[in-house]
Parts: sequence; C-alpha cells; structure tokens
Amino acid sequence: MKALAGRRIVCCVGSGGVGKTTTSAALALQAAMDGKRALVLTIDPARRLANSLGLRELGNEETRIAPSHFAEARLAPRGEMWAMMLDLKRTWDELVQRQARSPQQAEAILGNKLYQTLSTAMAGSLEYMAMEKVYEVYTSGRFDLIVLDTPPTSNALDFLHAADRILDVLDNNAMRIVLGPMLKAGKLGFRLLAAPSSLVLRTLARFTGSDFLRDLAAFMMAFEGMYEGFKERASRVKALLTSEQAGFVLVTSPNPLTTQETLFFHRALEQDGIRTAAVVVNRVQRDPRRHGGPDNVPALREALQLAQIKDQEGLAERLCETLTEQAVLADQDRREIERLRETLRGVPLFTVPRLRKDVHDLAGLWQIDVCLAGGE
Amino acid sequence: MPSLLDRRLVVVTGKGGTGKSTVSAAIALSAARRGKRVLVCEVVAKERVADFFGRPPSGTKIRELLPNLYSVHVRPREAMREYALMILKYETLYRLAFENAAARYFLAAAPSLAEIVMLGKVWWHATQETERGRPRWDLVVLDAPATGHGLTFLAVPETFLKLVVEGPLARDMRSMQALLADPERCSICVVTLPEEMPANEAIELDRALRQRQFPAGPLILNGAFESRFSPAELAAVTRGGPLLAAAGEAADNHESRAALSTHYEAVLRDAVPRQLLKVPFLFERSFGARAVEKVAHCLEAAL
Repeated sequence: MKALAGRRIVCCVGSGGVGKTTTSAALALQAAMDGKRALVLTIDPARRLANSLGLRELGNEETRIAPSHFAEARLAPRGEMWAMMLDLKRTWDELVQRQARSPQQAEAILGNKLYQTLSTAMAGSLEYMAMEKVYEVYTSGRFDLIVLDTPPTSNALDFLHAADRILDVLDNNAMRIVLGPMLKAGKLGFRLLAAPSSLVLRTLARFTGSDFLRDLAAFMMAFEGMYEGFKERASRVKALLTSEQAGFVLVTSPNPLTTQETLFFHRALEQDGIRTAAVVVNRVQRDPRRHGGPDNVPALREALQLAQIKDQEGLAERLCETLTEQAVLADQDRREIERLRETLRGVPLFTVPRLRKDVHDLAGLWQIDVCLAGGE
Repeated sequence: MPSLLDRRLVVVTGKGGTGKSTVSAAIALSAARRGKRVLVCEVVAKERVADFFGRPPSGTKIRELLPNLYSVHVRPREAMREYALMILKYETLYRLAFENAAARYFLAAAPSLAEIVMLGKVWWHATQETERGRPRWDLVVLDAPATGHGLTFLAVPETFLKLVVEGPLARDMRSMQALLADPERCSICVVTLPEEMPANEAIELDRALRQRQFPAGPLILNGAFESRFSPAELAAVTRGGPLLAAAGEAADNHESRAALSTHYEAVLRDAVPRQLLKVPFLFERSFGARAVEKVAHCLEAAL
C-alpha cells in the first residue's frame, strides 16, 4: 500500500469483528512479498487463521511462516513473514522483570495477589502491553515492518492513553497520602496490620473491607521506585507511535454502527495529533446490478426462457427477490462508504468485497492484497 | 423448565455486533405483550433499545417505551453513586469518600468495580420489591456488554470475592452470584452469527458458562441465510449468459452465504448443547420496531 510506504510500524485500529486481524496479516504478507522482513503481532486471531500461520501455541514468540505454506498458496515471497500472538500475562511479567531494580523486587511484584489480578484485568492493560511489545520488537531492529492488530476494544478511543491510565494506578499521589500510615508501617518492617485511620479510608473500607486496602498498600510498596522507569518507557513508546515511523490504518465494515465508530476513532487519533494513513473497508457487498440485465419478474422470466432454463417453483421470483435484497445491501454499503469518504477527505480509502469464503490461509490473505493493490 | 419469560433475569450475551440489543428488545417486547412489567437494562457504551421503538434515549432514569416495557441505561459512575448512597445514606459522606483523587484511583484499582456496581444495579432491579412485597419487575432483561467475552462480566462477583471477602459489597456479590446461578430465576442466552469468529466465541462462551454452571438459555443464531436455489438451478443460471449475469451473481452470492450459514449452524449444533433458535438475516433499511417484531416472532419457541 503506497500510503504506508516508509513506515516501520503499522497499527490497524477498528471495532471488533471488522476483519482487523485478517487485514493486519494481509498487510504483513504484502510487505513480505515485496522483500521485507515483516511481523504481524496479533491479539486474538481466529483459530484457523492462527493454525494456518503456524501460530498454534506460540505465545509471545515470533514465528516465521514456513516457506512450505507459501508454496502451498503458490506464492514466492522475496522477504519473510513472521507472526506472533500477544501473551498479556507474559508481556507484563517480562516488563516487570526488565524494569525492576533487583530480582527481589521483581519477585515481590510477581507474587503480589493484586498484581496477578490487576495486570490482566485492568481496563487498558491489553492496549498498554500491545504497545509495549511493539516497542520491544521495534528496538530489537529485527524487522523492517511490524503490523499491530490492536485489541478489539469497543471504545478504544484512548488506545494511546492506556499506559497513562495504568501507570496512574501504580503510582498515585493522592492514594499514597491516604494510604500513608499503612505504607509507613510497611517500610519500617511492620506487618501491615494498622487499621485504616482516616475517614476516607474508613469509608472506602466499608465497601471492600480493610484487607483489600492492606493488599493495595503492599502492591504500591512493591512498585516503589520503578514508576519513573515505566513512565519514561511509556512516553518513548508513545513518541514512536506518533512519529512518522508509524502509520494508523482504520479497519471497518460498511455497517452504519461500525462506520460511526470508525469516524470516532479517527477523531480520537486526530486529537492526539495523528493522521489516519489509510482506511480499509472490508466485506463490501458488490452490486450485482452493475452487470445490467433484467431485474423484475417478467423480464427475468423472459431471460430464463431465452437461456432455455425451466422456470420451476418460482425461480424467476426467487431470483428477483435475491437481486433486490442484494441491491439493498449494496446501496447501504455505498452510502456508508460515501459518508466515510466525505468525512475522511484526503485519506486513501480501500474497499475489499465480501469474499465467498472465510479467509484462513495465505492464499486467502493474498486475495485481500490483490483487492488492496487495486487501489482506492 | 420454566419459559424464558418466567424468569426474573434474562441475560443476553455474545460477541459485539451479533445483535444482542435487538434480541434483548425482542424478548422484552414479547414479555410486555403478555402483560408482564419488563425492564431492559443496557450495560453497553451506547444505548439502543429506546431508539428501536422510536423513543428518545432513556439515560440513567427508567423510562417507559411502550405499555409495560421500560428501559434504563446503566452507567458506572451513576451506578456507583446510587450504590454508595444506599450504603452510606449521606450525600456528604459519599462526596468526601468518593469524589476525591484518591477514590478515583481506588475505583480504577479495585478489580472491576465499574462492572460490579453495574451488575449490582441490575441485580437490585431484578430482586426489587414493591411496598406490598411483590416483585417490582416481572422480568429484567440485561443487554450485557460485548467487551471480549460477556463471561468476564458475569464472573465479576467471583473475581471480586477472591480478593475481597468482607464488607457490604462482598455480601451483595454473594447474593448476586446466587441469582446468576439459579435456573429458576435466571437464564443466560448467547447470541451469535454464522461466521467463524462469532461462532467460535459462542462455543467458548457456552463452554465456560456451563463450566461455571450458569443456567443455560437458548443459543440464538442471528443473521442466518437459508439456501434458496438447487445446485442445478444455480449452475444453469450462472451459465445463463449476459442477460442473467446479475441474477446469477446474486444467486451465487446468496448460496455461498447460505453454505457458510449451514456450515456454522451444524458446527454450533454439534458443539453447543442448547436449544438453537434461528433468526434470519433481515434486509431492513433501518433497524426499528418492525425488525424487533420479526426477531420476537422467531424467538417464540423459547418463550
């Protein structure tokens, strides 16, 4: 895709179920065909696609797509295609291990009860770790292109702010003050038995009990001194993603609800000073009427007769109904694409027609690349 | 087993974009038609049910959409406030404890507190009684969020109780868990589409729900396509020359979608031991009351 030339990182953004994973994989395949070492980093791929890419159980490891897979699809790439599935828990653990000031500190965090739940359950955690992984792979310099299939968040407007939100939990001054007496007791080596003393703490404790507050104090203590490192790294990740090195591709389907969300994503990116590099609209209904020909029952009946096809059991009626239904869908899709074009003026827009089968191998991905190469 | 409409709480879950809101509205409409007082709780980013019936959004106040049919948009901040006030009784105490920087942090850190208070509000409505001791609502329909698996949402009490064992929240979590586990009072429907990812997710969701012994309601296969042309007809029409090019392509498109639909229906029937209800793909130009009516009609067998 010309719109993405020169980028080292491509982030595919969009709502769930629009074919983000397939589009991401297709973009990586395209780059590999063009002679690049390309990696697609996916979050939750459909099983058959994962299988066909050889991603069965390879959490967090880059895996090269075997040349035999390419041969099966009759493709001869000049470069290499790699794939990786993000393992949320392991990425967190690795980050903690890397940033900890001592093995003891890393151990204390990894063993903390709240860390185990929070690291994977907090809103934004997946987004944060996806970006962290991209950064790690990018700095390793092993790939010419990294395509990130972003998590299927329903309101992923703050994809780029996920890290800030999570880091705020690790180090929050207000909470530090409230938990103060408990933290102090911990530092002096006392067990954290002190009952919550302030009114705020006592009130919060009425909801969760004081055990939880003690766990929270222990959690914050475990991270003591690491926060700056985390924050610095997160801001470098953000700087990279908002630089010319990275390009954002909005992936959507022509469904009105989805296009609404897509435009929302676009505005959210703009607010972060990021320009959308391209839009890909998947599953577009092609309009059968482009062939011309009869589209009403009497005319279809006549056409059947001319072609010497028996008009049994209301075949002409059924054909007419089918044509009408698909015309409705095609019109709807056209309207939505028009709306996208109008609002996203200047952004290259690519459409991929609804394919006859689910895409779950390289040959299917290549079919998508052919559509994308067909231009805007 | 009692019918779906005899439960106190019906949860509608499934992957995003499968039509959960439409199905929730359809179930609620059928119940309301039978004279039940129904409340639809939408726990999603954007409320949609009121719009189906051509009404303005209900927001966080319960509003009547049709006779006997009410809806409310459950949002975390408001739910938290309502809940906290029920326990604290005093607005000033609430403000002091919750409207400060530390509490905002606390809300982010406490595991899934937003989900907890939202589920809590739904649970409260489902068990709410009038002054005369009768249920305030005959049926509460929960349009559950699509964030990954709706399971995360339903498992919130369990996750929470692992970390917090005392206090009023823990107590309420326990009775929430009890309601969600009771097949007499609760049923959990899974909505899916005849496509690879939604079908796989439905299979995984069903398995996880059964493992945790959530009462299994029907599996609703939305957007189904039925075959319309025999192979011989399709072959003849697609080879019927330029005059039939458009009709041939349309028929071919239709049959390929029907084939996918049949394939995933078989996969689902095989893997999911629930009553399967099919809702055909609707070619409506806009989704409104008419579409909801059609869906309600298809669900009749389970009601």
